[in-house]
Amino acid sequence: MEIGLGEYLALASLLFGIGATGFLTRRNALIQLMSIEIMLNSVNVVLVAVNRFHPENHAGQIFSFFVIAVAAAEAAVGLAILIALYRLKKTIETDKADVLRH
Amino acid sequence: MFPVYLPVLILLIVASAVALGMFTATSLAGPKKPTPEKMLPYESGSNTTGASHLRMSVKFYLTAILFVVFDIEAVFLYPWASLFRELGWFGFVEMLLFLTILGVTLVYAWKKGALEWEK
Amino acid sequence: MSMWLVIAPLLLMLVSGLFIMLVDAFAKERAELALVTSVAIAVAGAISLGVLVQGGAPADMPEVLTRYLASDPFAHFFDVAICAGASLSVLLAGGYLREHGLERGEFYVLVLFSCFGAMILARAIDLLSLFVGLETMSLGVYAMIAFRRTSARAVEGAMKYFLLGSFAAAILLFGSALLYAGTGHTDFVGIGEMIASGDAENRLVLVGMLMVVVGLAFKVSAVPFHMWTPDAYEGAVTPATTFMSVSVKAAAFAVFVRVCMVALGDESVMTASGWPTAIAGLAVLTMVYGNVAAIVQKSIKRMLAYSSIAHAGYVMVGLVAAAEIGAPAISAVLFYLLAYTVSNALAFGSLVVMGSRGKEAVHYDDLRGVGRRHPMAALPFVIGVLSLMGFPPTAGFFGKYYVFNAAVQAGDVWLAIVGVLASAVGAYYYLRVIVVMFMQEPEEDQVLAVPMKSGYVATALAASGAAVMALGMMPGWFLDVAIEAARQLLG
Repeated sequence: MEIGLGEYLALASLLFGIGATGFLTRRNALIQLMSIEIMLNSVNVVLVAVNRFHPENHAGQIFSFFVIAVAAAEAAVGLAILIALYRLKKTIETDKADVLRH
Repeated sequence: MFPVYLPVLILLIVASAVALGMFTATSLAGPKKPTPEKMLPYESGSNTTGASHLRMSVKFYLTAILFVVFDIEAVFLYPWASLFRELGWFGFVEMLLFLTILGVTLVYAWKKGALEWEK
Repeated sequence: MSMWLVIAPLLLMLVSGLFIMLVDAFAKERAELALVTSVAIAVAGAISLGVLVQGGAPADMPEVLTRYLASDPFAHFFDVAICAGASLSVLLAGGYLREHGLERGEFYVLVLFSCFGAMILARAIDLLSLFVGLETMSLGVYAMIAFRRTSARAVEGAMKYFLLGSFAAAILLFGSALLYAGTGHTDFVGIGEMIASGDAENRLVLVGMLMVVVGLAFKVSAVPFHMWTPDAYEGAVTPATTFMSVSVKAAAFAVFVRVCMVALGDESVMTASGWPTAIAGLAVLTMVYGNVAAIVQKSIKRMLAYSSIAHAGYVMVGLVAAAEIGAPAISAVLFYLLAYTVSNALAFGSLVVMGSRGKEAVHYDDLRGVGRRHPMAALPFVIGVLSLMGFPPTAGFFGKYYVFNAAVQAGDVWLAIVGVLASAVGAYYYLRVIVVMFMQEPEEDQVLAVPMKSGYVATALAASGAAVMALGMMPGWFLDVAIEAARQLLG
């Protein structure tokens, strides 16, 4: 059997689902951040796989480079906010962050 | 697909069976006389010091943040390097601009003291 | 028209951002960064306005510049709105940060880079530039919210927005990847053509489209994707809230309109996916919920947050109408966003001016009797809320009029009726500000908020007030420009 686009999409959807489930069920901000990274990487799987079937201008490959770079920047900003939150509250559990919930 | 992966599958089953079998056999056959000494985590014979969950200093995070950003930006250097000749002067100037921006941010981080370890 | 003039606004943002970073790192004395930043942004906006009225970019732009970014009148129109909002926010920051002892150069750098991202977003004609622009803009905003890092409110608001925002961005990105998988194209025009020709893999396109629309609805804070809005708006320093509520929202709508009309604008997609109906549903929810929730707020900052949710609903009414009648409705959306930008900046600016060091005006109670004690400080607030309410002859009135008119022309009369009823509900909480300021007296033991004296804030109020009146007095001129931009967008 030939591995086609469908299999790659199934793999990516599975990864994306794992990431989304992690994001929605966990309350630790660091783990939620990691879940988002998994979701972004599932996108890279799709992009690179599709690029194999539409190789005309390498749009998918180029796109995935940008996704990697942006994901790093996002992680940096997220970690910075996380540190600021930890310094103030000594916790990174998101349900303990409730000053705004009146 | 099936015939190609059949050996892998068989290997997987055999390996799991052997590993599981050994664990089951030792836990069934071996005598158990637990003492506090024996229940300590094994650390090459020396006594354990401190808890196993170390609390990392927040300074590591700061360094990690800078590392992540500057390290990953290098992802753009590889495609450029492999197409260096085809891209010519245009690519060179483009990459110089990109590196200038990164350089300015590095100078900024430096002057702001983000690279100091002791603070 | 030189090609350099067309890309000058983007370059200006980038160069001044780097320049201010270096000045902030090396300068010993306190530099007037707010002045430099607001002038740089205003100049960028003025250049775009110039390009816009001169008829747009030359036809012979090099391929490097046109592959991912448009330089059409639509983009330049949004440049004007984005830069106006950003420049006013920076002026407010110049007064606010100093008054409350928060003056640090980072804020201006963040605004400049975030504004750069917003302008990229308004120009995006490819899923790649959409994603990069969106993230550049958002990352700046996340940091901006956490700017007051000793405040638990600020950092929590930032954390919440960061997590939900990144989650939404990941959904949008996966949707983009599915659109690419379904059509083999990442540029909007290519995607649109593939769908129209029937060669696209329809199931992938539909799922991808759904995810992209959800991601964008989150960014414009449409109900039910609005959960982050009140907390982020309340936690942020007020100038950052201003920037988020105007420039970020305008840029998100720019790309929303472009995706819907260019990539998904084909008749067959509209009927097969029913996105106009889905957005109509979102618009109704957003207008009704935003206005009703705004009524019960005690904090004016939160009230303005819900009000900005409601305004996103009105804009989406225009987007729904655009699916039917095209350019006239898009031009109504453009006009609305420009009018909303200056009105909302005026309202937030008035809130900034009401407080001074040690006592920031946040709640309705803080404003009791301010109108009688300091009538000159209260006047901008009156104009601001009247414009947000849609009272003639302010900018907001014509914004609402054009949008609802477009809905009626498109045959969505019920949507226009819901919109008018929702804005009638909104009148209650806007007028309440005026009532509290002029007709109530402060409690005996209450700490009185004293208006701050700042040349920056006064300039911002004067400029936004003048813009509100100008848009209200001669809406026709701006609408003509918007119609031309909308026509060229549809090609």
